[in-house]
Amino acid sequence: MKQSQLVRQLKSLRELEPSDNWVSFTKERIFAGEPEPMGLRAGVLSFFPLFRYKLALAPIISVLVLIGLFGFTRQTLPGDFLFSVKKMTESAQVTFSSGIEKPETQLRLANKRLEELSRIAENNQVGKLDPAIKEFQMNIVQATKDLAAFDINVTSSDPLAIKGLLAETKKMTENKERVESVLGAIIGDTNELDSAILQIEKQTAAYLITDLEKRTLQESDLQLLNQARDDYNAGNFATSLEKIWILSNK
Amino acid sequence: MSNLRKNYSEVYDKYVKKIYRFVLLKVNSAEIAEDLTSEVFMRGWQSFKGQGPDKIENIQAFLYQIARNLLADHYRQETRAQFVSVEYAPPLPDAKQDLEEMSFIQSDMERVKAALVSINDDYREVIVWYYLDELKVPEIAKILDKSEPTVRVLIHRALHALKDELK
Repeated sequence: MKQSQLVRQLKSLRELEPSDNWVSFTKERIFAGEPEPMGLRAGVLSFFPLFRYKLALAPIISVLVLIGLFGFTRQTLPGDFLFSVKKMTESAQVTFSSGIEKPETQLRLANKRLEELSRIAENNQVGKLDPAIKEFQMNIVQATKDLAAFDINVTSSDPLAIKGLLAETKKMTENKERVESVLGAIIGDTNELDSAILQIEKQTAAYLITDLEKRTLQESDLQLLNQARDDYNAGNFATSLEKIWILSNK
Repeated sequence: MSNLRKNYSEVYDKYVKKIYRFVLLKVNSAEIAEDLTSEVFMRGWQSFKGQGPDKIENIQAFLYQIARNLLADHYRQETRAQFVSVEYAPPLPDAKQDLEEMSFIQSDMERVKAALVSINDDYREVIVWYYLDELKVPEIAKILDKSEPTVRVLIHRALHALKDELK
């Protein structure tokens, strides 16, 4: 046999190879129990070192994404795509409110709707006006219902609940004036808003006057309460609430 | 650790087939070759992560050296294990029948492989390294810790020994 022939035959022995399965299995066995390197299986997210621990971070990232989403939805307006997410979180707030806090929570939400309405009117986003007014009315209706079901005997034992309720009602009167100044120029007629807010003012004033009547008041405070009652009877609910506000803050 | 693992993973991919072939041409059994090759890389990994890759001057020479040591251990153990009573020894194969079977199935490759298994260890090693793995003479000299002219002579003699075996 010639040397070149022998060398050729020797080179044919290069075909002797282990099976691919054995090669990969042995490699896995060697590295069993060792931490996995980033570059091998970390995937497309490996460029960002934080994601080396992506499994452990998954719950944290999910929470952060949710917080970010809810934070972002706070800025959404009625008619926006993510407004339903915002409403969902607000519904949860109402659900988890105690019986005493519920009317106040509803009023706070109604105030939010008013503020949104104000923003929409200021930015002249005409397309969002209709859904915003509807949302506000829905909140007002719910707040009125909650107030109607309100047990004044329970509320009177909680001065903080009364103050909260009063503060929200006062805020609503202020918001209403601001909205009217802008919205009036756009839609011309704010009767629906007026009647809804008037209803809330009336109901809140009635409950708070009843509550104050049960208390022992000084002469000057008694006079202020009488004036508040007179205003209420005259249909000046906002003025009545102003006086109740002064009395409650004494 | 992850960098070390990545580096050794590359070393494994590069040399696993060569080491397997080197071992197989000595033991002539795929099963034993797989076991010993896997042990070579296990030990290599322990040293690699223990000492650090910087301490290993030539990873190829290092792996071949582990393989040579393991082969030596393997044959030492096998020799010990062969001291069994004749009563328990399997019947000897019929040499004539074996040769007849071989003549049917042996290709040129099988003949060379059989001849390689039969020749002296030093000759077989240099033939595998020089002709199959295409290692340069200085690289082989480093693995064997011999001078380059000695390695050249060794390769020359090894090829002659193989030719004689094939006659």
